[in-house]
Amino acid sequence: MWEGILTGLATAFDPGNLAWVAAGCLAGTLIGMMPGLGPITAIALMIPVSYSLEPAAGLIMMAGVYYGAVFGGSTSSILINAPGVASTVATSFEGYPMARRGQAGRALALAAYASFAGGTFGAVALLLFASALAGLATKFQSPEYTLVLVFALSSIAAFAERGQVLRSLATALIGLMLGTVGTDQSAGVQRFTFGSLELTDGLSFVLVAMATFALAEAFRMVVAREDATPTANVAHARLHPGDAKAVAPAVGRSSVFGFLIGVLPGAGATLASFFAFDLQKRFKRDDQADSARGIAAPEAANNAACSGSFVPLLTLGIPGSGTTAVLLGVMLSYGVQPGPHLLDTEPAMFWGVIVSMYIGNLVLLALNLPLIPYIARLVYLRRTVLVPLVIAFSLLGVYLTSLSSFDIHLMLAFALAGFALRLSGFPLAPLLLGFILSGMLEENLRRTLLLVDSWAFLLDRPLSMALLALCVLIWLTPLRRWYKARQR
Amino acid sequence: MIRRLPALALVAFAGIYLWLALAIPLDPWSANEAINARTLPFVYGVALLIVAAALLFHGGDAASDGEQAPSGADRTAGDWQRWLKLAAQCAIIAAFGFAIPIVGPWLALAALLLASLWAAGERRLPVLLLLPVATAVAAWLLIAVLLDVYVDPGSLFSKALR
Repeated sequence: MWEGILTGLATAFDPGNLAWVAAGCLAGTLIGMMPGLGPITAIALMIPVSYSLEPAAGLIMMAGVYYGAVFGGSTSSILINAPGVASTVATSFEGYPMARRGQAGRALALAAYASFAGGTFGAVALLLFASALAGLATKFQSPEYTLVLVFALSSIAAFAERGQVLRSLATALIGLMLGTVGTDQSAGVQRFTFGSLELTDGLSFVLVAMATFALAEAFRMVVAREDATPTANVAHARLHPGDAKAVAPAVGRSSVFGFLIGVLPGAGATLASFFAFDLQKRFKRDDQADSARGIAAPEAANNAACSGSFVPLLTLGIPGSGTTAVLLGVMLSYGVQPGPHLLDTEPAMFWGVIVSMYIGNLVLLALNLPLIPYIARLVYLRRTVLVPLVIAFSLLGVYLTSLSSFDIHLMLAFALAGFALRLSGFPLAPLLLGFILSGMLEENLRRTLLLVDSWAFLLDRPLSMALLALCVLIWLTPLRRWYKARQR
Repeated sequence: MIRRLPALALVAFAGIYLWLALAIPLDPWSANEAINARTLPFVYGVALLIVAAALLFHGGDAASDGEQAPSGADRTAGDWQRWLKLAAQCAIIAAFGFAIPIVGPWLALAALLLASLWAAGERRLPVLLLLPVATAVAAWLLIAVLLDVYVDPGSLFSKALR
């Protein structure tokens, strides 16, 4: 292994490759910052550039684009509450309110440092445990995936705000329902498409996310009274004294957790960031650093998960997320077949990509920290300018992903519905999580029942039983809370 | 009663969804499967109906169980002018959707921004003139020129180019 790491170091420190990882990070950050354009879009947009490079250099650049886009997504989440990708939705929960309180620079610095810590942990873990972790991932089959997804959905109720359990459940269910729109993958039947061709492929994540977060937020700004102008100085994009110490345990916990979730094919950075955020709420101390921890935890988790998602890709040839699926396509187009033999056939590329992830994180930190003061000035824009810009960028983001004007009108309808839900006090994040997990849940449940032919799968395998026990435990949490409240 | 409106709307939504779910066509084979195209939509519909009924029973009011007031409602101004502004923004977005196939996304984007800025209350002439044009040009440069993504220029310009 050490010989491989040295080979990787030699490949990654090649001046040409160093330049490509830096270029990838910069391009990824800029593209990822545009609401609606996430890592998948960023990587897809960079494919033509990668074709002009050697396979190792191309993949190293793509890894940089991936990291950059994830960080860029956090920036738009924090500054304008417009998460372009699902994995940065959790960052907006604490990041956006902190930015509105005039601490945009601090929020972005927290995100940058936590991303760096999570990404570094992920890269080192990938370096040390890549082959062993791939073995663990193979133990997860459809029944386990189904239960992991049920666990993720159950955590919505368990970790909901006080008194918000029913509302969170309602929006999660609406999200699950929206996920059923389109052609049923198994039987080929149209569901809830009303004969519309545009709906046969289902609703796109970007559309639902942009409508319920960016556009609905713009609508809220139109009807809300003018907020007090943020007062803190964003020119000083640095952490507050004590921030590093306060967020360190959350970052450590989330990095480990995020990496392990990232290893599971299909789970990815989104699940990792939501879990990390929810887990963070369990450790809430009701002190001033809670918001800081609420930003750092999902950021560390999603970056660690990005590294984790490379485990099944590089060692099994299975994409761990949508983004790595695009990367798989890039590798195949180079004539590189990822899998257990990649380590023997292409050691320089295998280890070079892994080492470059660490370098990519360093570049990202060096690149983004000096830029934060300039980026953070976005929140100082007058509302009369900010609202039209949010509207324009979110609409353009949705249009560019589908090139369909039908999606613009659909987005308007969803934004109005999301705005109404927000006005009635319904949290919208569970809707997005339900929407993302809907297809995965149905697919895995179907596959499970096809393989096992009965619901006995829940008790058949030790891993399934353990996950079921976790689900039951999490279901008991709101009941326990309710019982305690009754006793008081 | 007004507090119960969102819960009532959810009951109605769940009811319609359930009705549509039961209308999903099934072939004889999948009808007998443990899980088919109808199963999960039906489960979701019933679950939302139960949750919405529980919300209705609770009074549809967050405060009834010791929760803070809805975040958005308390902040929205009561005056009708703001709602008029919202209606104007919605109309502009709808018009943007109709304009794209005709004039293409870049010109439509500039027009959207100009109209949206005006509707939001922006009256500074340099901002009104420069921001829409600069944004549209920057977006065109990044997407169409730098990243070389083909975007339909719109029927008006397609005809002119031919």
